[in-house]
Order: sequence, then structure tokens, then C-alpha cells
Amino acid sequence: MNCVNIEILKLNDKELINLSKKNTLSLNLKEMKAVKSYFKKLKRDPTDVEIETIAQTWSEHCKHKTLTGVINYSGADSKGKKVNITYKNLLKETIFKATAELNKKWCLSVFKDNAGVIEFDKLNGIAFKVETHNHPSALEPYGGAATGVGGVIRDILGVGLGAKPLANTDVFCFGNPDTPAKKVPDGMHHPKRIAKGVVAGVRDYGNRMGIPTVNGGVHFDDGYMANPLIYCGTMGIMPKSAIEKKVKSGDFVVVAGGRTGRDGIHGATFSSAELDKESDVSAVQIGNPIVEKKVLDTMLKARDLKLYRAVTDCGAGGLSSACGELGESTGVRIELEKVPLKYQGLAPWEIWISEAQERMVFAVPPKNVKKLLNLFDCENVEATVIGRFTNDKKLTLAYNGKTVGQLDMDFLHKGVPKTAAFARYAPLKETLRKPVKFNGTRIRESLKKVLADSAVCSKEQIIRQYDHEVQGQTIVKPLQGCAINIWGPGDAAVIWPYAVIKNTKKGIVLSNGINHQYGKADTYKMTASAIEEALRNAVAVGANPDRISVLDNFCWGNPEKPEVLGSLVRAAQACYDMSKKFGVPFISGKDSLYNEYTIRGKTFSIPPALLISAMGVIDNVENTMTMNFKRAGNLIMLLGITRNELGQSVFNRINKISGGIAPNVYPEESLKIMRGIYKAANAGLIEACHDISEGGLAAAVSEMAFAGSLGAIVKLGAVLTKENMTDAEILFSESNGRFIIEVKPDNAKKIKDIFKGSAISIAGVVTGDCKVEFGSDKVYISEKTGVLRSAWQNALNLF
Amino acid sequence: MEYEIEILPKKGFTDLHGARVLSDIMQAGIKDVKKTGYSPVYAIDGITKAEADLIGWEILSDKITETFFITESSTTAKDRGCKELSSGGEKVHAIEVWFKKGVTDTVSESVVKAIKDLGITKEVKVKTGHIYYIYGAVGKQVLEKIATTVLANTLIQDYKINELR
Amino acid sequence: MAMPKALIIRTAGTNCDFEAQKAFELCGAKAERIHVNELLTSASKILSYDILLVPGGFSYGDDIASGKILANEIKNKLGDKIKRFALSGKPVIGICNGFQVLVKMGLLPDPELFDQTATLSYNDSGRFECRWVYLKNEKNKCLWTKDLPEIITLPVAHGEGKFIAANSETLKEIEDNSQVVFRYVNADGSKADYPADPNGSVNAISGICNDKGNVFGLMPHPERYVYALQHPAREGFDGKYGCGKKIFQNAVDYLK
Repeated sequence: MNCVNIEILKLNDKELINLSKKNTLSLNLKEMKAVKSYFKKLKRDPTDVEIETIAQTWSEHCKHKTLTGVINYSGADSKGKKVNITYKNLLKETIFKATAELNKKWCLSVFKDNAGVIEFDKLNGIAFKVETHNHPSALEPYGGAATGVGGVIRDILGVGLGAKPLANTDVFCFGNPDTPAKKVPDGMHHPKRIAKGVVAGVRDYGNRMGIPTVNGGVHFDDGYMANPLIYCGTMGIMPKSAIEKKVKSGDFVVVAGGRTGRDGIHGATFSSAELDKESDVSAVQIGNPIVEKKVLDTMLKARDLKLYRAVTDCGAGGLSSACGELGESTGVRIELEKVPLKYQGLAPWEIWISEAQERMVFAVPPKNVKKLLNLFDCENVEATVIGRFTNDKKLTLAYNGKTVGQLDMDFLHKGVPKTAAFARYAPLKETLRKPVKFNGTRIRESLKKVLADSAVCSKEQIIRQYDHEVQGQTIVKPLQGCAINIWGPGDAAVIWPYAVIKNTKKGIVLSNGINHQYGKADTYKMTASAIEEALRNAVAVGANPDRISVLDNFCWGNPEKPEVLGSLVRAAQACYDMSKKFGVPFISGKDSLYNEYTIRGKTFSIPPALLISAMGVIDNVENTMTMNFKRAGNLIMLLGITRNELGQSVFNRINKISGGIAPNVYPEESLKIMRGIYKAANAGLIEACHDISEGGLAAAVSEMAFAGSLGAIVKLGAVLTKENMTDAEILFSESNGRFIIEVKPDNAKKIKDIFKGSAISIAGVVTGDCKVEFGSDKVYISEKTGVLRSAWQNALNLF
Repeated sequence: MEYEIEILPKKGFTDLHGARVLSDIMQAGIKDVKKTGYSPVYAIDGITKAEADLIGWEILSDKITETFFITESSTTAKDRGCKELSSGGEKVHAIEVWFKKGVTDTVSESVVKAIKDLGITKEVKVKTGHIYYIYGAVGKQVLEKIATTVLANTLIQDYKINELR
Repeated sequence: MAMPKALIIRTAGTNCDFEAQKAFELCGAKAERIHVNELLTSASKILSYDILLVPGGFSYGDDIASGKILANEIKNKLGDKIKRFALSGKPVIGICNGFQVLVKMGLLPDPELFDQTATLSYNDSGRFECRWVYLKNEKNKCLWTKDLPEIITLPVAHGEGKFIAANSETLKEIEDNSQVVFRYVNADGSKADYPADPNGSVNAISGICNDKGNVFGLMPHPERYVYALQHPAREGFDGKYGCGKKIFQNAVDYLK
């Protein structure tokens, strides 16, 4: 196998585009022309290795061209006023900007490495990253999801000099599992098959890695049937001294872990027909968690022995991205024939861009090479020297002694022409609908339906398949309840890293927020709600709201469509606003664009989804909270204002009610309450805490009751509302900014003092008679907690 | 020689995986199937029959709950292990699922290691596959549908349908 | 005696070795996590330790069946040393994957026989499951469970934990000989159904020991409940500790 020259100098515009298409380069005309003019200066055509390298490095996945390109936006601003704005670099002007302006000194490494890092304690940092693996999971759910998990774990291994993974979180959006088989488009897997395969893939990879999967979510919408969303996240801990990496000229390039095959070349875009043609080609990435576990075990030893100066993972673009990144400021020369292969017959360019899994690339000082290779060898990890960092600022690729490619690092990393795109957006015009006057019977039926709805119901059958206790540090668990009978839905997870940090009392909280349904009204509200939900979840278990960082993860449709890009701009605006107002910095992020699919010639974009993942620090893990009611006789107190916000709510959907106003976010109100909760929790004044989200007050109280195997009486008249609302509206509104707390009667006054100036009311009392009761002057609703629990627990039937 | 070693539950032990497959088939909206069975299968090249027996007993099967059945890979009309489990004259089809060439087969690497640990140090090649038994009169089209929508992902796996009886 | 020294055997896919090490250290033992490759080059090293622990995880991915490949490796390459260690009366424990390894190589129930006479098969549910369970402590001769209360709680996390003996005679022997250490039960000690019994083990067996009581294997994870904080409701045993700690403490104290 050898490399060939690709004729480009002679090509006209049309031929350039054809070349890009034919070779699956995904470069547009402007970019192809930039490539052409670069090689014109060199007076030669590029080799296949060179053009593939450029295509990988300039890919949307690696460069985020859309979000960092020029966008001419016309539409609503944060206050809803119509404006025209030109963004030179949307990310820099919204998300990065907020982080820079907040300038938190506990943010240790943001937006520059494989993960964001914040301070844990004086000596240690914690790193967090969430990635998506949507397209591979649509094609091969098990392998796609497994390698999604494997990939994000490698991000944590590849941040700085490597962090030790402590926990995984996973959030999925699937099509409706009850979709009739005949409604599934040809060539696509049924949502249930996708869901089962994805869960199994996440389970098998995460469990085998020995990393607990502690938090997540599963969401269903027909819009994700052909294009599911698979978000995988990992959090890890590292000494502060391991946060920076620095390659030196003369260091050796070592690749360790799995062997290289044709896995995932050009992503999983091969059709099956093409696969058959070359039947030994595997377009799909197959994961092997045990190989990655061996890499983890050995590389952290090598890190502590300071045997290498830099490390990164092989993700999208494989070695080309990994070596290209590490050698950006020095230059690097790689001898491609040295890369260990799974089987013979790979062309040099295939070796270079293969996305074979479980590989890490190290920069190793010459004096340490032998030691490092030996350390890997002792535990059967294959590690090989494949090249050396230079000082010529060039990427040089050789194959059997012959140079097969040479590119200037500057051109490779900075030569991509800026794109310019148009964006426009108009949120849905929302109007308050006429009052929903349900009698007690209809409210009770609605409550059972809400609890059984796929957005609210128990995901226990998935959660239990993940080992959420391995490492022994999960002290606020995904399922909560009394004694060991735990099934209630925890808001967030808390990791107490006692096995890593001696005598620590501190903990790490992880939570998620995603509200794709509100995006149908306005992606600003969707984004603001997701951010607030992630914060609320974290605070509900005891996180300090002033020590929380977040990650963004955009899954959007085709950004070349102005409406799609417009909805994304609006989401980015909300990210900036909320980040500033809550004082919550973004530390890392990711975007997956072009999530669209074609059915019978018609192309659809997915409903946009923004996952916000929060990581926070807790000073004393003993003061963390769970959501189950603890004791009959305690008071149920409600924090936050209930507004008439039932637009896009679960209640409206199950009752086929259209219209209404989707929830807004009121950061000043919310933040004040969140700070109060942290204060009260640390004073030991809160027995249980739960945030109110999908399904509203009614669902939240029911969950707390059946999780604690207790009952509750709530007086609807005591709920503080902004406007006149009916009983059903009060019970099922999904207004943000609200919590339910359980308080001992003796502590009620102290609690009221802490929350002075915020909306707080005593809404009811915990009872021992296993009934959930809601009452007002008009209605009285009572249902056995057992009935509510079984409606909630038995609804999802995936397995 | 290449041998295929198929692992089966011993009489009296439930075939949990087989039962799961049946529920998956039902969930996929296919109602014609009444009973299914499952066997993992390992194709091992470079061993003798005696070594296949040893590997089947020591490594691939559980001594308490499972048994194994060996065939030569070169045999065309496969005599599969299910005949030991089912009696009577009912129809049986076997849907075999194997990875396509070039797809990483992680379990095979572990099996190679285990064979070495057992003291068989010569070079062996291992492929892993799955055999699904579909009992009863089920039409060709339905079998194809089961193979493609439930059992195999044709992107990475090949399947073949054999009528055993 | 000086500080007891525990050997924690690890290999590719082992993943509960850290927690186990911390548990031993908390109880006043020195614990080393040693890769099986290292033991292969110096097998006699094994006998220099006082306690042996085979931890949980997915050794070699649990490919073929859980614990199978590691059991095969240890038995064929380190078998006589491991057997000698077990017969010497020193404490040996296999947790979860480690239990599967001990049973599949035949170190349990009878290390003298050293042949597989029982197994841990797929859970009746057909799935991996992670949950907390109640265990009835049979208060037998096992040195690891001395002075534990009659009902304790521990987490389980496994897909293949269903204990099955080779035949009714073997089972009878295990029972008659008081080798059953723990059984899955309800909170009140009564017979449990799924999910309180998470896998459908014969006679609800979740842990057994050898005749001497020094070799102990169990599916639940005592190393995940050494502190009260690790319990879902923060319930402690012995103050701020969990009952898992007591299990490690027993082995350490036994050597003192």
C-alpha cells in the first residue's frame, strides 16, 4: 500500500467540489480553494494523506466552523426585541465571553483541553466532559453508544496529563418506544431496538471500566426516531500539577492501547452497499473496554512517575488530530509504518485518520521512553514509538522511509477560511390559554397519567443495569428512598472521593438539565430552563450554587438552514445571559450539528436539544440531601413562585391542550433561593429536598411521598402564585425556580428567616397514612401512594 | 482443522438468552414464533478434535450448567446441538450470526488468551458467533425479518439461515 | 504480629481493587494491589502475604463467562501456591467477580478438592443489576463474619450471581457442613423473592466459605460499605462505619 497524489491544481470550482464529495472530505468550495492555493504556492499537488489530514483537521467536528464562523443574525434578542446582529465568532461572543467576564479563580482550565477543569481542593482539580455519539448509535446502537462512553472517558484520560475517572453520566433522546413497527422508516432501527442497544452499550462499557454511571436522563420524542441523541459524560480528578501539558522538541511520540484498523474512517458514513464491496472494511467503531481499562490503569501510574510531558486521546480524526494537536507549536514527524495494525493492507492515509478506539498518544522525553514502554508492557498494553516532535513547525508524515506528506502547522491549524452564514429566528407567539378547570377526578387521572408519561416515569430498569456504586464513592445515589428500598428519582449524584483523596470531606456533584420540549416554543426558554434545571438539580442535593460550573452540548439540525442556525444563536444568547446572571461559568462544550435525516426524499432536522451538565463542589458531604420524605409530621415547604406556565408541559401534552406559555427563568429569584437552600442544608435544617420540573408540583410531591413510603397533604391555597390560577394549573405548571423541602416543625422559623425576601410557604405536611392528598376550596384529590408509585414505576417497558 | 464449538444449557437449566430473544421478536411485532433457543458458538482454527474437547470442557462451557457440541467447520449440512434439546418432529431453523471480516471481535482475543493459559501454545484463530434456534413452522420471509430487525446488524454482521429439520 | 499484609490480585478488567485496599488500610492492614503478571514471574511471593483478596470487576471483560478466564489462568499457572495459601488457614476472600473466580477454579467450596463443584450463573432476571440487599448472617464458622448482626445490608452489582451447586449432594454437604455464610432475605429475615433476592440463587445463597472457615466468597460488596455515608439512608454500624468494614476488620484481627 502506498500513497498517491491527488490532482487539485488543475481543477476548476466544480471539479473541486466533486473531489470533496467523491473522497468524503466534507470541505466546501471556499475551503477547497484555500487548499488549492496553498499547494499552488508549493508548486505541487497534495498527496492523499495530506488532503485527508486537512479534511479531518478542518472538519466541523474538530473546528466548530459554524459556531466560530461569521453569522448574520436577524431575530429576537434576549428581551424578545427584533434585532440584526453580526457575530464574528458566536462562541467567543457568548459562551466564552461569559466565562471570561465571570473570571472565577476556581476555573483552572477552560475551553482549551479535552475537558474543563475546576478546583476541587488546594491540591486537586476535577475535570468534566460530555460528548455526543449520535450518528454511530443510529447505525449500530450497541457499538455506537459503547464507543461514545469509551471516547469521553479518553477525554478525561487525555486532559492535562490525565485525570482518574470517577463517574459517568448519560443522557439519551430516543423516538417513542411504542412506535408501531410499520411506522419506522426503511433502513432504520426501531426506537426500542436503538434504546435497548444503547443502554446495553453504555452498561457494558461503563461497568467494565469500573466507572459508576451515576446520573442521566432518558427522553422521548418522535423527532429523534431516525436520529437518536446519545450524550456521554465523564468526570475525573487530578492533581493540579497535572493540569498543564507541554510538548518539547525532541520528545518521542508514543501511541498506546488498541491497534489501528479501518474502524470509523470518515466517521460511520459508509452505506452498507459500500461495505459489501470491500467486505473487510469496518466502518463502525467497535469498543473494547478492557483495553481502555488497561490503558487507564497503566497511564495513571506513568503520570505519577512523570514519565511523559503531554498526552491526548485519539478521537475524531484519529492519529491525525491527536498528533496534529500535540505538535501544533513544535512540529512533528510520524513514521506511519510503525503504527501497530489490526490487519495488513491499510494505506498510509487510512492509518493516519482511522478512528480505531482505545488509543492514547504521549509526548515522552527520550530518557523515559524505555521506562514507559516497559510499564505498559508489564500489563499487556501495546505501546510503540511512532515518531518524534521536531522544531520546524511542520507536520511530516513518512511511510517506509519515504515522505508522504508535509504541511505547515500554521496552515493546518489556522488556514481554514471563515464561513459566513445567515440566521434568523422568531419564537413561537405564545398566548395564555383559557383557564383549565378540571374537577378532582380529572386531576387525579391526570396525575397518574403524568407520572406514567415517558418524560416523568421511572427509569429504574435502565439505571439498575449500570453499576452506580463501583468505586464506593457514590453517596447520593441515582435512586433514593428509605432504608435500602430505594426507587425515588434523585435530582443529582454526589461523589465523595475518599479513596483518592485522603481524609477529604468534600464532594463532587453532577447533574443534568435538558428541556427539548420547550424549544418548540423558544430555544431561549429551552436553554435558560436547561441551565436552571441543571443548577436546581445540583442544589437540591446540597451543591453550593456559587461553586457550580456547566458544560454545553448542542445537538442541532442543519445550520445551513437559517431558521435552524437562528434557533442556535438564540440558545447561545441565553447561555450568555444565564451564565452571567447565575454566575455560573461554562468550562467546556461540544456541538453536534447536521443532525438530520431523510425519509422518502424529505429531509427533517431533529428538534434542537441543548444538554447542560453541571459539576459542582460540596464542602461537607455529610450535609447532602435526598428527595424522599423522611418522617410523618414534618412540614412540606414550597420555595419559589408558581406561574401560569403550562405551554409545552407534560400536562398539556397528555390532555391534548394546545397553547399556553412555556416556562421562563427568573435568575435573581432563583439564585436567592438556591443560596438559601445551601445555607439551610449546611445548618442541618432540611430533611428532604426535591426540585419541581416536568409534571409540576403534583408529580414532585408524589415522588417524594412514594420514595419515602409516606404520605402528604398539600393545601393548594398555600401555593404562592403570580396570577390567578386554577387548581389544575397550580398542580401541573412547570415554572422554573421551585423546590419542595421537608422541614421539622421546630425548624420552620429558622427556615423562614433564611428565606426572608423569597417566595416561601408552608404548603402541607408529611403524613404516615400512605396517601397523597391535594386540596383547595374547590377540589379535594386523594390517591394511595402505592397506586401513584406503580403508575410511575411500571410505565416504561423497554426490556 | 477448524472446529465450531457450540455451547448449550444442560437439561434442566433455563435458556435465559433464548427466552429474551423470543420476547425481542414479539416486541418487534412478529407473532409467528413460539419458541426460541440461543447458543454462543466459537470457531477455532488450528486445533485437534481432542483439543476442541478440552477447550470446550475447560474454557468455553460452564461445568455445572452447560454442555457443548462440536462440529467441523468444513461440514456443509450443519448438525447443530439443538437436536439434543428438542424432541419430536417440529421444524427447527438456525439463524447464525457472525461478524463480518475485519470487524474487531474482542471476545475472540480473550478466548485465544485462555487457550494459551490452558497450555495449548500453538497459533490458533478464533471467531465468535451466535446461533439462534427458531422452533416451529416459520416462513422464510419471517425468518429474514427476524434476522435483520432483531438478531443481526447487517452493517457489521453476516447471517445465514439454515433449516435443520 | 506485625501489621498484616494483604495481597489484592488484579488484572485487566479488575475494578474494585482500590476500594478493597482502602478498606484493609482502614482496618490496620497493609494492602498491595499486584498485577497477576507480576505473580506469574514470582509465584512464591504469594505465600509471603497474610491475606488474599480477589476483587470485583470484569476480569478479561468477563468474556466467555464471568471470572472464567482469570480462574483458568490462576488455576493453571498459580494453582498450587493458591491452594497452599488457602489450606494454610490464612484468610482468603473473593468478592463478586473474585467469588466467581474462586468458585470456577474450585477453591470454593472445597479447596482440598480444588475442582469446580458449583457455579455462579446468569441472574434469573437475565440482566446485570445494581441494588442494595438484606443478608441473613448464618453466624457460622467463617472467620470473616464474626460478630456481625443477624441481618445486614450490602450492595450487589452483578449479572451472573446465581449460585448453583453441581448436584443435590454437593448442596447438602455445603448446607450440612454450615458453609453457607449469607443468604438473601427480606428486611425481617423472611424468605425473599425478586428483587430482594436479586438472582435466584439456590437456597438464596449469596456467600459461602470452606469447611475451615478461612476462605470466603460472596457476591455482595463489603468494600462499598465501610462508611455509614455509603449507605443509602446513611445508616451506620459501629458509629460512622458500615458493616462492610467489620468483615475486613475480622480478617485483620484474626491475624493479630
